[in-house]
Amino acid sequence: MSKIVTKIQDGSAPRSAARVGIGGPVGSGKTALIERLIPALGACGIESAVVTNDLVTKEDAKRLQSSGLISPDRVMAVEAGACPHTIIREDPTLNIAAADELARKFPQADVIFIESGGDNLASTFSLDLVDYWMFVIDTGAGDDIPRKKGPGIVRSDLLVINKIDLAPHVGANLELMKREAREVRSGRPMVLTNCRDNIGIDDLVGKLRHDVLFVGA
Amino acid sequence: MSVRILQVLGFASEPALADRLHALGHDGCVEHLTLSHDDVHRRRLRAQTDKGTDCLIALPREQRLGDGAVLVLEPERAVVVRLAEESWIEVVPRDAASALELGYFAGNLHWRVRFREDTLLIALAGPEKDYLDRLQHFVGDGRAQVVPHDD
Repeated sequence: MSKIVTKIQDGSAPRSAARVGIGGPVGSGKTALIERLIPALGACGIESAVVTNDLVTKEDAKRLQSSGLISPDRVMAVEAGACPHTIIREDPTLNIAAADELARKFPQADVIFIESGGDNLASTFSLDLVDYWMFVIDTGAGDDIPRKKGPGIVRSDLLVINKIDLAPHVGANLELMKREAREVRSGRPMVLTNCRDNIGIDDLVGKLRHDVLFVGA
Repeated sequence: MSVRILQVLGFASEPALADRLHALGHDGCVEHLTLSHDDVHRRRLRAQTDKGTDCLIALPREQRLGDGAVLVLEPERAVVVRLAEESWIEVVPRDAASALELGYFAGNLHWRVRFREDTLLIALAGPEKDYLDRLQHFVGDGRAQVVPHDD
């Protein structure tokens, strides 16, 4: 028994990167969010890798690979072929394999983001695939989205309301979105972001560090 | 106080661990970390024991949490996972046609269910009202009835 106790106390157990899911409707800004998170986490000494999911292309992966923000070989693409929910929830084996491969190739990575493209409000992540997941919506898609109670909005660990800068230009009531999101999420947290101007990214990094990365905890 | 947990040491049902836990329990030194049925599937999470210890769990991918998982075993303290009691609602469809549609509906919402004779049991992963709201179109026109849950 003392051997086991010693093992856990000296931290010699294998290190594994956190796996964080990022879901949300098309165009809500998931890839833009990752483009902000990678350097913000990097500034804290936190290394990233990314798995992207697209329907029938590798668009999101190519965008990240050519962004200059991350080594291209740290980005892997999975093509869903059809309904994207299937490969992040019902049968996430393709994504698990991709994340495992990134973990093997980059054992120094602290976090592997798994972005799921083409989702709607019903998408959720299997907890066999990710440790923590966020759901990204944006003000431009309508301020009634939170009260529609989609499973992604209700059950995600973190709700991100993105493009807050657009709210006044598209007639979206941001205060209403915040209030109704709080009501349907039973106290689960949310952050407000504007990726274009890097607003709210520090809050998001702080949540990830506290809740799942345990850096500076 | 916080503790980083990098592996599951074993399960409370294992004889060697059970003896230690039994002894620590007599001294009031066993803390319980109660996790929901969702959270127990995670490899990484942050949660507090019943005595307030902040547990920062980061398991290897091949390990799993579970009811009775021993996370800390020290001379004067142990932390053991306890699975939260689960809440259910029971729904009785009026006839076979209603049962088919109810089953399809529950599956489409990815609800976790059990069956007991003619009753569909639905695990509550959120507020009960959300489930009742979703079932209202069945209940409202008499195709199904929600009855008190019988343990």
